[in-house]
Amino acid sequence: MQISARHLENTTIFDVTGDIDLANSPAVRKAFLSEIREKKIPRVIVNLQAVKYIDSSGIASLVEGLKASRDLKARFILFGLSKSAREVLQLSRLLKLFEIYENEEQALSAESV
Amino acid sequence: MPRRQLLLRLQLLSNPLVLCGVRGVVSPLASAIGFGEEDCHKITLALDEAVANVIRHAYGGKLEGPIEIQFHKLNGADTTKPGLEITLIDRGAKAKPDALKGLPPGELRSGGLGLHFMRQSMDAVVHTRVGSTNRLRMVKFIH
Repeated sequence: MQISARHLENTTIFDVTGDIDLANSPAVRKAFLSEIREKKIPRVIVNLQAVKYIDSSGIASLVEGLKASRDLKARFILFGLSKSAREVLQLSRLLKLFEIYENEEQALSAESV
Repeated sequence: MPRRQLLLRLQLLSNPLVLCGVRGVVSPLASAIGFGEEDCHKITLALDEAVANVIRHAYGGKLEGPIEIQFHKLNGADTTKPGLEITLIDRGAKAKPDALKGLPPGELRSGGLGLHFMRQSMDAVVHTRVGSTNRLRMVKFIH
């Protein structure tokens, strides 16, 4: 798994590649929380187009990112979910709690909800 | 033909890095037995979660705890449907009864989903303690 960040004005986009599981979800969590809590970035977007597999620890990292962003009134957005990632979020009954888009363009242009 | 046939036995250590290897084995094995793509994903998810639970809870994050995984093909003889039975055996701490209840999904919390995923993905999930070993048996039938 690899995670890298692109910085735009008031926005950080995390590009995640590979599987998110117990081995690497702590690194994902740390990256999200650093950006949200320490750098106080008002909008964090997570690109999951290259994530083929995510388990409950990966979902937990996303949840922690969402909770931290809500605490600071920031936005936490996902895009590019694979079918399997979407199914896992659906199984956790958390799909509707996230702001999710099909692609980066939609994620960047979406107004606050 | 035997009702239950051992196909594969894996010996692992409780290092999270093994999870990708476990997923790489179980998905094609399930497909070869006759499960469709969706069920292969469900079985992979359930096994990944089960091994992760052993790593985190039974061994408390220690990296060298032994884990054995057995894969049995169920041949559907008599009244039994064909399918796959997966058994995990570890020598870690006994699971606390509350931990086996699982937590209801849908709440914005960062834990407790693994057991829910296992139960939603498989047709049977049974935890037992035999002497000093934990045994987790999961079964999925080909419908």
